[in-house]
Amino acid sequence: MTKVVQVDNVTKVYGKRGEKKYEALKGITFDVEQGEFVGIMGASGSGKTTLLNILSTLDQPTSGKVLINGRDITDLNKNQMADFRGQEIGFIFQDFNLLDNLTNRENIALPLSLQNVKSREIEPKVDKIASRLGIKEILAKYPAEVSGGQKQRVAAARALVHDPSILYGDEPTGALDSDSATELLETMKDLNEKDKVSILMVTHDPYSASYAQRILFIKDGKIGKELNRNDKNREEFYQEIITELGRR
Amino acid sequence: MLWKLSLTSLKSRWKDYLVLFSGLTLASAIFYMFMTLATNPSFLKGNVAIAFSTTQCVYGFGIVLLALITFIYIIYANSFLLSMRQKDYAMYMMLGARSSKIGHLIFIETFLVGLISTIIGELIGIGLTQVVSNILITQLGLSITHFIGFYLPALLWTLIFFVILFFLAALWNRHKLVKANVIDLLKENQKPIKARKNIALKIIEAVLGIILLRVGYWAMANVSTLVLNSIPLALVTIVLGSYFVFDSFFILLIDLLRRNKKFKYSKLHSFTLGQLKFRINSYTRILSIVSLLFALALGAITVGLNFKQITDQQMESTYYDVVLFNQNQKTKQQLKKVVVTSKTKVTYKIAGKYAYVSSAQIKNANLKRNAFVGKTDEIKYKTEKITPNDIKPENSAYYEFAEYIPYQKEIKVVSQTKYDQIKQNSNETILLRVKDFKKNFDNVEKLQKFAVPKGKNVEEQLNSSKAASYRLILNIASGFEFMGFFLGIAFLAMLASTLMFKVLSGANSDEPRYVMLWKMGTRNKLLKTSINWEIGTLFALPAVLGVLDVLFGLQFFKSLLAHPYNNIWIPFSIFLICYLIYYLITVKLYQSIVLKKIK
Repeated sequence: MTKVVQVDNVTKVYGKRGEKKYEALKGITFDVEQGEFVGIMGASGSGKTTLLNILSTLDQPTSGKVLINGRDITDLNKNQMADFRGQEIGFIFQDFNLLDNLTNRENIALPLSLQNVKSREIEPKVDKIASRLGIKEILAKYPAEVSGGQKQRVAAARALVHDPSILYGDEPTGALDSDSATELLETMKDLNEKDKVSILMVTHDPYSASYAQRILFIKDGKIGKELNRNDKNREEFYQEIITELGRR
Repeated sequence: MLWKLSLTSLKSRWKDYLVLFSGLTLASAIFYMFMTLATNPSFLKGNVAIAFSTTQCVYGFGIVLLALITFIYIIYANSFLLSMRQKDYAMYMMLGARSSKIGHLIFIETFLVGLISTIIGELIGIGLTQVVSNILITQLGLSITHFIGFYLPALLWTLIFFVILFFLAALWNRHKLVKANVIDLLKENQKPIKARKNIALKIIEAVLGIILLRVGYWAMANVSTLVLNSIPLALVTIVLGSYFVFDSFFILLIDLLRRNKKFKYSKLHSFTLGQLKFRINSYTRILSIVSLLFALALGAITVGLNFKQITDQQMESTYYDVVLFNQNQKTKQQLKKVVVTSKTKVTYKIAGKYAYVSSAQIKNANLKRNAFVGKTDEIKYKTEKITPNDIKPENSAYYEFAEYIPYQKEIKVVSQTKYDQIKQNSNETILLRVKDFKKNFDNVEKLQKFAVPKGKNVEEQLNSSKAASYRLILNIASGFEFMGFFLGIAFLAMLASTLMFKVLSGANSDEPRYVMLWKMGTRNKLLKTSINWEIGTLFALPAVLGVLDVLFGLQFFKSLLAHPYNNIWIPFSIFLICYLIYYLITVKLYQSIVLKKIK
């Protein structure tokens, strides 16, 4: 199996010279295999957002290496980083982060436009991913005109339209009601299983985490424990997560 | 405690406050400058022309216009202040501060910001008035003397005007914060986009807008047939037309571009178009106002700079440059300083209340004059011969000729024999045409003054000379030129900053969009390009309409100026360069706000 994400002893220290230093990440090491669905759990302040920012080139590690699809992303320049995000990474954020002045179709098409994909190739791709996610009917609408669950599907479509190496979810269900959340998680699971999309999801919600195959618990800047779902069903895995959380 | 909090956040946003302060300071400085120029008696006395009621009326009109634009300007500057502060204040309210207390705070803050910037602006205004007026006077070759920057009444009027404005602004801000819901204030930037409007209606509106503009331009061009109806008709149609065009035409244009998939799906085009459509909806009013002010300001500069033409027209209206009633040592000396190109002699005899001239002599002298052959909306002169037959009281040539003979006598043309029989001394007046009347005007004017006839009514004779009327017109033209230039630049500064404040007050709510695009992998350069285009369009749209307004509007001045379109590239380039500088500043400031989190 190939590794999509390789994280090797990554640290992140905040605070300039002479100021009081704060170590957000204290040497993190883990891999994500091609086609895996990995969850990262941790309380607020545990460093999970910092980690995700580094994995997505939005922030630089103080030391250590990060390889995505075999490419070291810690020594890229600004433009290379931007291009890298545009080509290799798909994002789903908690608050959707859709552009309210564009239609849903235009929102989904944006990553392709940014990569100079020919205009006649763009619409078929948008239509394909939209039907995959069941949002074809709302493409002409603006984000403000659709429900939260639909918005997050549009965001998911935007994250996947350019076939990224990995899909990052940053609390993707955080702003959704429980039905919409379940729907989205089922979709993500489906995408992972059928379309072999590699997913890395950061969350503090055990229910969301229970959809992953493997969960890394991050605490005080270090990976504490790792849980594997193996052959357990989702409910059993959920119980295991709850127990693990209760242990701290 | 709240005061302390409020001051802390003021410190943390000093850059935004600096923009606001400099904008407000500029406004009061400009207002003070204009008030000083318009009301300062030492300025008035120094200028013969200013004493004319028409000029005073023009200055009064200028003050009203300036007050109006200042008012609009303060509204936008104030909304910029409110947009900066409302999140902070809403936060304090959420923490439990009473809304009456918050209302009090925003009231004091608005008022203080206004008062301080007004006072600083007045101080700067005093200095600027001195400097700018000196520069303008020398640069434009204006004949304005006796000028001091400090003038107390203007200072007080400016203070009172701005205090009233800021008092109203402070009341408004308090009202807005006290009445509004905390949640609405916190989530101001998350308002959903307006529902789409009927396209057919938009098309009708666009067509109507263009028709109205066309009618307005037609009214300006046909001032001779419409007379007094021209201005109100043009004003109403152009104001409405501009509004309709911004409210519909440009939105349709953007929609058309959005339909072009090749264009839309390239780089950030869809985002830029989306931003523009989103904005123009809320910019309709300000874009119309800016385009009108743009036209007013550019028009004022263009007409102001072209006003010197009336001096040329004045020159053309008289054929002879100098009338030598009298030759003496002084005139002989002074004649050495001018180059005479032609010399014509008029001889006459004075007997009682009549002045006699010989018809044969007039024929031989080959006298000429410049006769007016223009129409109401056209100024044109033609050089013709003066024949003895023309010198009759019913002809205009008579009065021109009468000016060549001193002491205001009634002219009688007689035959040479009869002329010879009159037992009086024959006197002569020499009519000169000189080289470089305009360039060498100071010497020409002196020569004319030395050559006045002896005796009574000298003043009147002198006042009707070409040099004297040229001097008078020059003074009027200088006054207008100065005012046109000043008002034009002042309006430009205000309208461009109004637009700047409008753009910047939206920057805080635009920021998340740019952060989002950056996270998705948009290069920094592309973000900046998108910003350049977006703000550039917002600046360009009113400019295009404003330039059109001026190009058509200049027709209106055809009855006053022979060639209103002469050299228009000079005011246009001065104006557009200043406008461009404002655009660049706005882009820089906007980028510093929306891209601040992007590393």
